[in-house]
Amino acid sequence: MSDAFLNPDHPSVVFACRGVRVFVKDGDTEKQIVRGVDLTVRRGEKHALMGPNGSGKSTLAAALMGHPSYRVEGDIWLNGERIDTLEPHERARRGLFLSFQYPVAVPGVTVANFLRASLAARRGTEIPVRAFRQELNAAFETMSIDPSFITRYLNDGFSGGEKKKLEILQMLLLKPAFSLLDETDSGLDIDALKIVSDGINLASGPDNGLLLVTHYQRILNHVQPDVVHVFMNGHLVRTGGMELVTALEERGYDWLAEEAAIPEGSRA
Amino acid sequence: MAETSTSVIASARPALDEALLKAVAATLGGDAAQVSRRLEALARYETAADPDRVRHLWRFTNPASLLPASVAGAAASGPVPAPAAPVAGASVTIDLWPGRAPAVQTAEDLPVGALTFTAADEPFPSGKALASDLFGALGDAAWNAGVGLKVADGAKLAGPIHVRIHASAAASLPRLRLEVGRNAEAMLVEQHIGGGPDVCVVGRTVISAADGARVRHAVVQVWEPGTSGHLAVETRAGADADILTVCGVFGGDDTKLELGTDLAGAGAHSEIIGVALVAGKQHADVHTSHRHLAAHTSSRIDYKAVAGQQARSTYTGLIRIEDRATHCEAYQENRNLLLSSRARADAIPELEIHNQEVSCSHGATIAPVDPEQLFYLGSRGLSPHESMGLVVRGFLENTLARLPDDARAMVESFTAPRLATIREGTA
Repeated sequence: MSDAFLNPDHPSVVFACRGVRVFVKDGDTEKQIVRGVDLTVRRGEKHALMGPNGSGKSTLAAALMGHPSYRVEGDIWLNGERIDTLEPHERARRGLFLSFQYPVAVPGVTVANFLRASLAARRGTEIPVRAFRQELNAAFETMSIDPSFITRYLNDGFSGGEKKKLEILQMLLLKPAFSLLDETDSGLDIDALKIVSDGINLASGPDNGLLLVTHYQRILNHVQPDVVHVFMNGHLVRTGGMELVTALEERGYDWLAEEAAIPEGSRA
Repeated sequence: MAETSTSVIASARPALDEALLKAVAATLGGDAAQVSRRLEALARYETAADPDRVRHLWRFTNPASLLPASVAGAAASGPVPAPAAPVAGASVTIDLWPGRAPAVQTAEDLPVGALTFTAADEPFPSGKALASDLFGALGDAAWNAGVGLKVADGAKLAGPIHVRIHASAAASLPRLRLEVGRNAEAMLVEQHIGGGPDVCVVGRTVISAADGARVRHAVVQVWEPGTSGHLAVETRAGADADILTVCGVFGGDDTKLELGTDLAGAGAHSEIIGVALVAGKQHADVHTSHRHLAAHTSSRIDYKAVAGQQARSTYTGLIRIEDRATHCEAYQENRNLLLSSRARADAIPELEIHNQEVSCSHGATIAPVDPEQLFYLGSRGLSPHESMGLVVRGFLENTLARLPDDARAMVESFTAPRLATIREGTA
């Protein structure tokens, strides 16, 4: 189980945050979306984050990655190091990864050129073309993506499923210490869900961790999280195991809102 | 300010007179016919109207900033510069310095008779109208470096005609003339280099492609900072002629490039592919015009500009289709990418269509780099500058992909250093 009392720089902790609040500009004022989140993920752990639409799950994931639209308060730790003042690319080079719910297209930039550049950035060294090709071909096979995608423009004209598979392919190649997976299961058919889940499991090991943001039980049946959090109204309102997922499938979110004394109208 | 732009331009016109033009002609060894052509151009220069700042062509760029203060003293002094090694693969490499005869280096495999030299300002047999605009008349009258070339009917040159045009005088007025015979094939690379503070270039290139000719023409401008200049290219395409014009605008401070192609013969086709990469306080103005004078002619323009820092890109483009030019196809696209909040771009496409039996379309966009693209690339470890470099390369990609391999490699040899400065954050 996650242990909120463990120090965020403890060697067994891969990722932690303390008192994270996220604000967005709202006209001349600011609106608070995330109202104080504490999270501790130990090496080898898989966490799931569930919550109703509009509760701020995606905002939390993007803010932890360092999205420039958000102002973030609180501490974020990766491998015992504070990363909350770092730029997104500096967080990525240290091993943080975000699988996007809606991956952005970059027309004119081939998947191969993009992956080679990001691998070089993550590893801090250029990868010889031949070695890169071999690694790339193996990853494409693992993720059941047609090799013709290697020379296509990044996410340009890709279907939803193709984009999500490419996100997990990047997770496999970049070998992040900690991955934020934002609704990686949305828009996937049954076969693609299996491929994506297998990829996530393959990328998971005893030294790294992940936080999987999702609405649905089905991906959790494949990925089997160690810890499940429920996120509502900008807070983690409940933490448990897979039994919590079953309870949510049966009863929805309202009972948790009542327990957490969240007023109706603020339960998103 | 009550000051009118007209008076500013009028006072910026460099003074020309008969003695001056005779001296320039003499320096270049011009004959009596050339002197009389220059004097005839002087008359046109003196009566040329000031560029109209109200119309699109000159709305965004002050013509006064592109005129040399004086064209006197352009005659060369000092030792003859040694030309650099010939360009690999070129059939002919020509270096042009103001006030000097052209330095020509010919490849050994150039077939005898395929290429001959003419006066740089010799009129074409097709009798193209003489320039009546201010810059055109100035160039006709006072050009101080030039070469004329004629590719024989049916000849096919193995390599390009590569002309290095050095902006080495305060007033550099180069002139190129290329006449491509019937069913002949030629590639002309016009590379504008050199320049520096207070150097001003007024260049003029005229190309005539006879019926069935295939001409590829590249204009690449990589002047040093401080240079200003106006380059005009006028091309006439005969029946079934096929013209590809590639332009690359990278250097100088205030610059304007005008590319005009007349599709004069039935079935002629012209394509203009251009890129500009500017930063600092550069102002790059590009104007294209495709004039469809004959039926069944087609044209296409794909011009992309990237402006960083406080730079400004201006594009105006005209497609004109005459009433007799039926069954024409014309397409024009201009896209601009802004790398900073202080960079700006203007895009004015214009269509003038005088008959109903045409297919014609155009599109223009001006947009900053999408911050979501930068965040996505950042989340994969790429720094903001690296991400910007990748996005810019992607932006140019589908335009560069339209080029033949050799032309693409040539253009990329100029874009690569500019992209490197974007990746390194120095532009």
